[in-house]
Amino acid sequence: MSGYSIDTETARDRLRNEFDRARRTLAVVWQDTGAKVGLLTLAGFVFIGIFGPLLAPHHPIEDTLRRGGAMMRLSSPSPKAPLGTTSFGKDVLSQFLAGARPTLIIGLFGGVGTGVLGFLVGLTSGYFGGRVDELLMRLTDLTFALPLLPMSLVILSFVTPNVWLITAVLVLFLWKMPARVIRSEVMTVKERTFVKSARARGAGHLRTMFLHVTPNVLGIGFLYTAYAVGWSIVAGASLAFLGFGDPTTTSWGRMLEQVFRSGAMRVAWWWVLPPAIGIAAVTTAVFLVGRAFEEIVNPELRSEQE
Amino acid sequence: MSFRRFLIKRTAIAAVLTLVAVSIIFATLRLLPSDPFSGLVASGSLTPEQVAELRAMYGLDEPIYVQYLKYVRNLFTLQFGVSLTQQRPVGEIIVPALVNTLVLLLPALVVTAVISSIAGMYAGWTRGSRFEQAGIVVTTFFRATPVFVTGIFLLIVFAYGLGWLPAFGMRSPMANPEGYAQTYLSVDFLRHYILPFSATVLFYSGDFLMLARNSVVERKGSEFLMLHRAKGLSEMEQLARAGRNSLLPLVTYFALRTGMLFQGVITLEVVFAWPGIGRALVQAILNQDYPTVQAAVFIMALAVIVMNLTADVAYAKLDPTVEAGDV
Repeated sequence: MSGYSIDTETARDRLRNEFDRARRTLAVVWQDTGAKVGLLTLAGFVFIGIFGPLLAPHHPIEDTLRRGGAMMRLSSPSPKAPLGTTSFGKDVLSQFLAGARPTLIIGLFGGVGTGVLGFLVGLTSGYFGGRVDELLMRLTDLTFALPLLPMSLVILSFVTPNVWLITAVLVLFLWKMPARVIRSEVMTVKERTFVKSARARGAGHLRTMFLHVTPNVLGIGFLYTAYAVGWSIVAGASLAFLGFGDPTTTSWGRMLEQVFRSGAMRVAWWWVLPPAIGIAAVTTAVFLVGRAFEEIVNPELRSEQE
Repeated sequence: MSFRRFLIKRTAIAAVLTLVAVSIIFATLRLLPSDPFSGLVASGSLTPEQVAELRAMYGLDEPIYVQYLKYVRNLFTLQFGVSLTQQRPVGEIIVPALVNTLVLLLPALVVTAVISSIAGMYAGWTRGSRFEQAGIVVTTFFRATPVFVTGIFLLIVFAYGLGWLPAFGMRSPMANPEGYAQTYLSVDFLRHYILPFSATVLFYSGDFLMLARNSVVERKGSEFLMLHRAKGLSEMEQLARAGRNSLLPLVTYFALRTGMLFQGVITLEVVFAWPGIGRALVQAILNQDYPTVQAAVFIMALAVIVMNLTADVAYAKLDPTVEAGDV
């Protein structure tokens, strides 16, 4: 890539290049067994996240299952409730299907928000250097010093938590991770000849940053966005488990909180396992895909195998 | 920049960071709409006179800037005030909880760091082997899964299913130990210790394994190893030398992890009912016991800042190729 001014033709070319690169990357990731399983798991998770509430045979909170006149409390799996019921007579399968959606929202938007914000901060900081860098890096140091879970707990204790608010709080504390990594990458890229020649030809700061520097650090940006999806899901589930989740919706973290608080964990394995396996499977899938992707983005790791 | 100047600059930044972090915690808690004392009067657990006394004790009748200055001064002399719900100094609540957390987590962290670093170096050396593949998938699973979920799995299998180990607390309800030796050196304690300890080790294993593996992989093709190979050193001797060169990132990472120790495992302490600082914090938040909240969050933030400083300094000191000015 060069520093010539870009007409539509070259812009289209560049876009095509990026798509090609993305396709090849995906093909390489697909060769890794762990990543393949991860991608399939994620596809299943997204499906449940979107259609789960429609597939659920009962409303996860409103419907109380009864047999005869009696509420079905802590009933083990049966034809009427394939995954059993909770101590409140709710259908576990329905809760599981509906509970994927908040997890998906927090993971997706928390991750993408974290990735974008961190990328912009890292890009600005690394590109301009000097005082801008000093200021932004001290700010990231500060967010590193403010512990994520305790601070979110304090904030969420005096507002009514909802999914979007939780997502915002997580982004507020997570952007620091990609910011640092992107910054150090940008600092090496901006010393390269094509960036300097672009500047010498009179390209503006914004143009240089986004057209010349960005394509070279985009891979790392995507990698950290993927990891941020995992971190958001973990943090969201942890908050819900501690009783600071959205009280109006069912999420997997909240299901675990309820089974733990009610003391039914000792007996009701059918109530514990679906959300626990759901969370574990999704976060592991995200990180397995990330690991495979990292091998591609970090050239030092593929030295021998290719 | 000389090392001395670097050290001074870093320490100064850390001090300023602590002050800003403390101020943000102060501001966040002051923004809370509800007065922590009103609830106590309404519930009848305190008389209005006692509340006035308490208010005076916290200086809540004073202007906000005086409150702020006193708050900062008290934190730096480790005077955390009196708990609102337990009617005793916060220090008496926080310090034993802190000790319990450290007793659980520090040994777990050291054990993980040693075992999974060695395993990771071996995995990196035998790149493409079954050991490497399995190691990555297994540790990724435990690293990715929230620690409380791992804890729940362990509880279901070993406490509820097999009934081998207790599920709850740090000692059995009948035990009444006195002093640290009796508290921490008994079979009863050990039985309560195994599950949360295992969950922590499993949780942290992935990072050290991947870090060690990656740095061995990066060094495997490098020239100094070819020299060692040419000299006729065995595979294991070569690995030992590659491993020694991978220690720096592991040491700094260990410092960073230690700093984040308290906050990372709050849910773990809750799930195992371990009477540590994380659980104390959650209870204090639920009870609106702000002096305890302040103290716990302050300790967590301070740990991160101090250990980050340690990591930076260790890095600059140990790696001769790092120009201190760049850090």
